[in-house]
Amino acid sequence: MNQKVVEFINVKKIYDMGEVKVEALKGISFEILKGDYVIIMGPSGSGKSTLLHIMGCLDRPTSGKVLIDGEDTSKMNDSKLARLRNQKIGFVFQSFNLLSKLTALENVELPMIYAGIEKRKRKKRAIELLEMVGLGDRLNHRPNQLSGGQQQRVAIARALANDPPIILADEPTGNLDTKSGEEILKIFKMLHESGKTIIVVTHDPDMIHEGKTLIKIKDGLIEGVEVLEFV
Amino acid sequence: MSEIIIESIRSLMSNKLRTFLSMLGIIIGVTAVITVVSIGQGTTENVTSRIASLGSNVIIVMPGISGGSGRAATQLSDILSVSDVEKIRQMCPNVSKVAPILQRSSNIGYENQNTVATIMASTPEIFDILNLEISKGRKLTYEDEENFENVVILGYDVAQEIFGDEEPLGKNIYISLNIGNSSIKKLFKVVGIMKKLGSKLMYRPDDSIIIPFSSADERIFYSQGKVNSIIASADSSENSQIAMIQIDQVLYDRFDTADKYRFISQESIMETLQETTAILSFFLGAIAAISLIVGGIGIMNIMLVSVTERTREIGVKLAIGATRKRILWEFIFESVLLTFIAGVIGILLGIGFSKLTEILASDFNLKTSVSWQSIAIAFGASTLIGLFFGIYPASKASKLDPVEALRYE
Ligand SMILES: Nc1ncnc2c1ncn2[C@@H]1O[C@H](COP(=O)(O)OP(=O)(O)OP(=O)(O)O)[C@@H](O)[C@H]1O
Ligand SMILES: [Mg+2]
Repeated sequence: MNQKVVEFINVKKIYDMGEVKVEALKGISFEILKGDYVIIMGPSGSGKSTLLHIMGCLDRPTSGKVLIDGEDTSKMNDSKLARLRNQKIGFVFQSFNLLSKLTALENVELPMIYAGIEKRKRKKRAIELLEMVGLGDRLNHRPNQLSGGQQQRVAIARALANDPPIILADEPTGNLDTKSGEEILKIFKMLHESGKTIIVVTHDPDMIHEGKTLIKIKDGLIEGVEVLEFV
Repeated sequence: MSEIIIESIRSLMSNKLRTFLSMLGIIIGVTAVITVVSIGQGTTENVTSRIASLGSNVIIVMPGISGGSGRAATQLSDILSVSDVEKIRQMCPNVSKVAPILQRSSNIGYENQNTVATIMASTPEIFDILNLEISKGRKLTYEDEENFENVVILGYDVAQEIFGDEEPLGKNIYISLNIGNSSIKKLFKVVGIMKKLGSKLMYRPDDSIIIPFSSADERIFYSQGKVNSIIASADSSENSQIAMIQIDQVLYDRFDTADKYRFISQESIMETLQETTAILSFFLGAIAAISLIVGGIGIMNIMLVSVTERTREIGVKLAIGATRKRILWEFIFESVLLTFIAGVIGILLGIGFSKLTEILASDFNLKTSVSWQSIAIAFGASTLIGLFFGIYPASKASKLDPVEALRYE
């Protein structure tokens, strides 16, 4: 169980805004092992989201290397990266980001459409996933007919569609009340127990409580890595 | 692929009013093209059949045109005469029949009924050359011509107008003439009625009356052998070109120039018609192209708006694994679908309008005809417009930065 799923080697991200250059990440190196539950913490503007976007291959680092499942992403072209996002990574956002025109079921089917899975198979899997997150009775609801907590559960089901090994979440409970947040935490815990690697940016004390590893970020640098042992 | 189709339809359906408005340019363009082309096509077919009604072996000689073109041009008069007709008769072996024509509009009447008709003074050959058939009575004869008879054959509509249900044969109609300030009336006996014939190119027998050339020349027009036009027929349609050359020889010898006379034949009219049609088609095509381009710019505009509005959606799709190529195709397909549907609506409306025109203009005997070519071109053009004007917005969508797009509010 000590296989590296994510590895950062001296990763820098500089936003060049003409006059000023913002150094969002100033040289970050770390590794995450398979099956870990990582909490990323840090003050606002410290570079957490930037880090997560680079980890999810939505963005490329200005310099340094990122290895996902042992593969060097700097050598991949855009369509290879799209495939990697589709197969290896499930994203969960703070603001859910469901497609408003599609039903819950269709939202969950979408990553499988991109993966080229045939209609019947993907529908079956989408239903299973929605049932798993407790929305078996909301298949044909549109996002605006669902509560925030329900929407986030649809988003998690969507992230799991192609059974990716890595789940990335940027403040997944940030827009939710305590009760809905707790349900999300339960699902993450379950996913962790099923062997997925979970990496979450969060301020939520309850969520931090669930994590196994804590990465603290400050001013674009890693301030410290701790192993969390709550009893 | 099928998902892209469903998604495009859904996306267009989600804002029906806007979709419709953005299609309007293309719809109007295609409708206009289909309608106008169908009217043009119908008219051309109509004119073509009218020209064909003349008979392919008929040759008409008219006086030449002097003094430039357009309004300034005036037809030379007093150029052609019966002696030319005689020479043509004798010296052109491939001309089987030839006849002079004197033509004038005049008041005619019987008892209290009167009307305006075209008086055509000619020799008996005209009936064969123009294929004028008789429904009652007889045609002109050589005896009428030799004896300066005051007899008349009435066109169908003329007979209807002045006689109605009454029997015209044997009655005397008057032709009223203005000489100086006084008007005199000459009586002509009706000996025949023509069938309804429609128009024969420049002649309209239904609205005309035909009288012997000799008596018209002597007693009505005092034209001293001058004629307005000469009409001839070749012995076969294959020989009509040769016959025309022979007539040209005769007339050129007399005038020493080709400017004083001109020929009208089915072939030459067809040529002119084709030229006119080609010019017309070119202009119509240009107008159509402009309207479609304007429509296309409208489509591009709405697609750009759509890309902006859906920035976040694009970001999400990229985040969950859509390739840039897929985003590109989604938007291209949407704009092609948009213009394709607009094309279909335009074609249907165009067919509807051309049928409507036909019904509304039935009095003018206007026929329209929607050709398969124009439908195919309309389909092709509208689809290509969607493709062409969809590429830029689509490529803009596909090049969005995923992180930026996700952050877009
Ligand atoms: N597109 C961009 N252009 C310029 N600067 C940027 C851009 N994105 C982020 N930054 C800057 O990079 C730094 C890190 O931003 P980031 O969003 O990663 O912070 P964060 O830790 O997620 O903060 P928060 O907790 O508020 O979400 C900030 O100073 C931010 O202003
Ligand atoms: Mg952030």
